[in-house]
Amino acid sequence: MSQRHPPRRVARSLMRFGRPPPVKKPLQRNWRTRLPIPHVNIIGREFAPSRLEDHYHATLEDNAMYMTYIHESTPRPPPRQIRLTYDPSNPYARFRHNPPVGGDQLGKKPPPPDTPANVVRLEKIVLHSFMKQAIGSRLQLLGLIMAMRALSGETERGAGKHAVQGVQIVRGKKSVGGWIRPNIPVGAKVELRGAPMYDFLAQLVEFVLPRLKDFPGIMLPPPGVSLHSPSAVSGVVSIGLPPTAMPFFPQIEVNVDAYPRPYGMHVHFVTNATGVGAENRARALLSGFMLPFTRHS
Amino acid sequence: MFSRLARPLCRHAVCVPSRALATEAIDSKVPYRPPRSSAKPILYTSVILNRAPILTPSPTVFERAFYAYQQRIRRALHNPFPTDFYFKPGSLLESHFNVEERYRERIAWGPNYVKDENVSAESKASEQSAFDQMAMQEQSDDRLMPRVHPADAARDYQSLDRKGRRNLYLLVRDVEDGKAAWGFPRGPAQDGELLHQAAQRHFLAKCGNHMDSWIVARKPIGMYKRQSPTPTPQDITFFFKAHIMAGQVHPGLSVKEFVWVTKQEIRTRVARDYWEGVKDMLSDH
Repeated sequence: MSQRHPPRRVARSLMRFGRPPPVKKPLQRNWRTRLPIPHVNIIGREFAPSRLEDHYHATLEDNAMYMTYIHESTPRPPPRQIRLTYDPSNPYARFRHNPPVGGDQLGKKPPPPDTPANVVRLEKIVLHSFMKQAIGSRLQLLGLIMAMRALSGETERGAGKHAVQGVQIVRGKKSVGGWIRPNIPVGAKVELRGAPMYDFLAQLVEFVLPRLKDFPGIMLPPPGVSLHSPSAVSGVVSIGLPPTAMPFFPQIEVNVDAYPRPYGMHVHFVTNATGVGAENRARALLSGFMLPFTRHS
Repeated sequence: MFSRLARPLCRHAVCVPSRALATEAIDSKVPYRPPRSSAKPILYTSVILNRAPILTPSPTVFERAFYAYQQRIRRALHNPFPTDFYFKPGSLLESHFNVEERYRERIAWGPNYVKDENVSAESKASEQSAFDQMAMQEQSDDRLMPRVHPADAARDYQSLDRKGRRNLYLLVRDVEDGKAAWGFPRGPAQDGELLHQAAQRHFLAKCGNHMDSWIVARKPIGMYKRQSPTPTPQDITFFFKAHIMAGQVHPGLSVKEFVWVTKQEIRTRVARDYWEGVKDMLSDH
């Protein structure tokens, strides 16, 4: 048996692909675009190793755990029941809005117990830009959208992933006399996750921030600031980039002249940290990616 | 039906694996009972000095094949590149980009995929000469450095350049009670002294101050109890993690020798029960 079917040699190189298999039955085609419809949903995954992600797993994750670990010798006591907040057997309370007594105590919640699974890590980076001129003429947004696309490389449902939203239009929510109206396009935002997120962070830290003039670092809040405010417990670090920073991104640098004007933006680094001190834990993580933080002098 | 069933499974299977931390609590089956003694235990502090990887890890054969496959999918499905947004139409840079792009297509899909453009041989030659001129002007002396350092070939265990892809740890051969043994630099804490301060003091005394180092946290990352058959005062070591950023170790008087080694190389040097105590604090990366 084995003599009749000697083991076939594996491909010489795994990077080279041989001839495609012969087409027996042609694929169905979209009636409108005439493009072939594949048998399966094709989803693009990581196509190159990510340097900063490797750095996180090789070095930062351990350090972040050692720096943020809070030792608890006994399991936590259950929360004190002031009044029964929700009784599923009570038909009156069952489908009613039933908030806890005294609010949800968002700023007072302690961080969850430290486990290897919830070591602080970067979840996503959100770039967000508001454009005043877009209120008058929405055409002004086109340059901003193009810049965001060039910066992030994200497209809607890119690589077949349904959760990738690409560059989104931000619309007005409130009506403020003489300024903004509900539902008019006033800005753009884009969410970065995974490898594009780490690529953006590397570009920001290596190309943009070192070339900014008079940039001392990201300012830490003054010492007396509350640790219980919503921003301090949500594990998000936000910075603002001035319009002068945009031409330093290498994707923009190659053809700065193609954009009508440089755009500033907010950058939100969203981590999985929650509870009291979450923003400080997020800052500790980001400083490991060489994002510089300074104090007010 | 099948696709509806299969999709969540797929998504679950490809979600990013949570890589194990270097230090994860392990529950040993047989709890170690030290011999009882009335004397107070002696507390030691020790610093695990780490040189983080300076090179990216080399992808495995599987990873390389996976990336090549994903690059082909990406190339097949990407949005059309807006050439006129990045290049002036008809410019030399544009045709240079097109030539390079055709080369990349040929690499990805094979020689038969890319159709020959019908241009005359003369214009092709003139374009080629222009490209050569561009290449001459842009020539730089930057060359890729090899991923293997000469220190690797020379088996220079004291060099910080060796094993760029791995985490390296400082191991010293220290003389204690007249016996020399390999281990992380350590020393006893004094009465009333905080553990992390004692760690720093002994670290500077044993390794010198000719380096830029940083002790990661004030909390110990692990503990080791030396097993001794006689009921002597117990000997407990607390470990702290530190990083070296620049400089080199200048060993103190009691240190006979030092090496920069990976986790696996530590195992061959230290005593068995010491290895069992410290192995979970070290990184496999």
